[in-house]
Amino acid sequence: MPPLPYLLRLRLARYARTSLCSNSCLYNALPPVRTLFATPPSLAKQLPPRRVVLDSEIEENFLKGSGPGGQKINKTSSAVQLKHLPTGIVVKCQETRSRTQNRKLARQILGERIEELELGEQSRTHIKAREKSKKKSSADKKKRRKYRALEEDRKAMEGEVDDNEPIEEGESQIMKGEHIGEGKIHAPG
Amino acid sequence: MPRLPYSLLWKARAVDHLLPPLVKQCRDVHAAQNELRWLRAHADTLSRPNSKAHDGLLRKMVEQRSTGMPLQYILGTEFFGDLEIKCRPGVLIPRQETAASVTYLAQLLQRAKNLPSQLHVMDLCTGTGCIPLLFQHELHAARRDIQVYCLGVDISTKALDLAKSNLRKLQKTEPAIVPNLMKFMRADILKEPDNDVPSVLPSLKAALELNRKPKQWDILISNPPYISPSAYWKTTTRSVRGFEPKLALVPKAELGGTDTEQGDAFYPRLLATAVEIDAKVVLFEVADLDQAVRVAHLARKTNAFDGIEIWRDQPDQDDLEQVPENISKDRSCFPIIGAGNGRSVLLYRGVGASWLGMPAPMQGTLEQQQVSL
Ligand SMILES: C[S@@+](CC[C@H](N)C(=O)[O-])C[C@H]1O[C@@H](n2cnc3c(N)ncnc32)[C@H](O)[C@@H]1O
Repeated sequence: MPPLPYLLRLRLARYARTSLCSNSCLYNALPPVRTLFATPPSLAKQLPPRRVVLDSEIEENFLKGSGPGGQKINKTSSAVQLKHLPTGIVVKCQETRSRTQNRKLARQILGERIEELELGEQSRTHIKAREKSKKKSSADKKKRRKYRALEEDRKAMEGEVDDNEPIEEGESQIMKGEHIGEGKIHAPG
Repeated sequence: MPRLPYSLLWKARAVDHLLPPLVKQCRDVHAAQNELRWLRAHADTLSRPNSKAHDGLLRKMVEQRSTGMPLQYILGTEFFGDLEIKCRPGVLIPRQETAASVTYLAQLLQRAKNLPSQLHVMDLCTGTGCIPLLFQHELHAARRDIQVYCLGVDISTKALDLAKSNLRKLQKTEPAIVPNLMKFMRADILKEPDNDVPSVLPSLKAALELNRKPKQWDILISNPPYISPSAYWKTTTRSVRGFEPKLALVPKAELGGTDTEQGDAFYPRLLATAVEIDAKVVLFEVADLDQAVRVAHLARKTNAFDGIEIWRDQPDQDDLEQVPENISKDRSCFPIIGAGNGRSVLLYRGVGASWLGMPAPMQGTLEQQQVSL
């Protein structure tokens, strides 16, 4: 067999390196993001294990746009887009200012989407959603009562209507829910 | 720039009355919503939500942002890999592409079997100190057996103060960052060591002696000013020009030469330094593929390196990019790795090759490389 050209050898060596070190162990071995994904222990028991997405099945894109990068521009976007090649599912995450964090989040969201596709009603998200809607209906009632009381207090104290537009409940909820009109992403619950 | 349609601004206003000025700045509703969310979260940490003070603070931050002030200066930090680095006006904001190259370099080295037990890493033009901080964080976290001793050098005292303050902040939360092994020092790295008259602003060599630092360094990293005077006006964004220090972006004009030569002005001295300190692995950031090729040629001319590679923005991704004609036609072209714009030049020699997992250097490697192309 003739020896492989130098460049090809280099590239093969690099692929071996990349697949070993740069992706899989970095993201899959990391503990889930606690703040956003904490699951109460009782619920955790009923849940199937989290679907792990192999990095070899993913195409990743940082949506940097065209044009120069580096020193010439100071971007604030750290959006990450993942495409799951076997299913064609695309998720985009721009939840945080940290690209590394968005990469982890995007992988978890993608895992959930794939699972939904594979397990349907038995998936973690569906189980969690059912649990949540049960809790929410009772929590909502409490919250509405509290808001009303707070609002009345405030009016009584200021004795006038602020000329700043008050933030309506609906609006502030949209801001917390993020990504308006972007069905693909949602803040994981 | 084309005007934004009114309908877009109306839509934004319906979502939040603070959104339109941000949309004008970001030119994108989703990006503006993200920024507003982050600004609001920042205001939440500074004042009680729904208070008058909070309203005023948020309004002021949105106003600052609408003048083009970088979000990172308003919030006071930027993420660099996993690290949240403090930012202040007067010091360049770290870029994500830089973090990608530094992370990738650290990942390559993580698997080396023959690293010295104390690895000496020098970062020239260190700014916020983001590069040595991330490099130590990445490498030491994976390799507890290796002490990663880092030295960051800058000409700007504002930058050095901020770098030290970043170290103080991060050492509290990041176990892989070791304050004893992270130093910052002032020097003018363009000053030739020979014609150095003792002064307030020493050359790198003089500063190393003065501060009793080692003469030999295993790894040299630098993200120097690399924008030419004309590219500064033509290709940088307004927010960069208006708010970030020119000292960090454009090599000073006294260096002379053509416009391109001025943009490249730091690299000859950086290459000479790499040889002087006997660096085994060298990583320089560049503006684009053209500058990468120029720097790679300069490096080849020194005859000091066994291997030269060009990395793109995402060196860990598969290369889907077309190599432009003018570069692929160039018979002496260099391996170009990853996806995105040309971003950095990697050089290695001697034992550096095995640290990186590269084929062992042989006599005349470069010639063979050319023949097989
Ligand atoms: C592009 S910034 C890089 C900052 C940081 N390393 C980063 O990646 O974010 C270049 C830095 O070089 C510094 N600098 C400019 N001229 C210098 C010189 N002659 N000697 C040493 N540092 C210099 C500037 O103060 C600035 O902090």
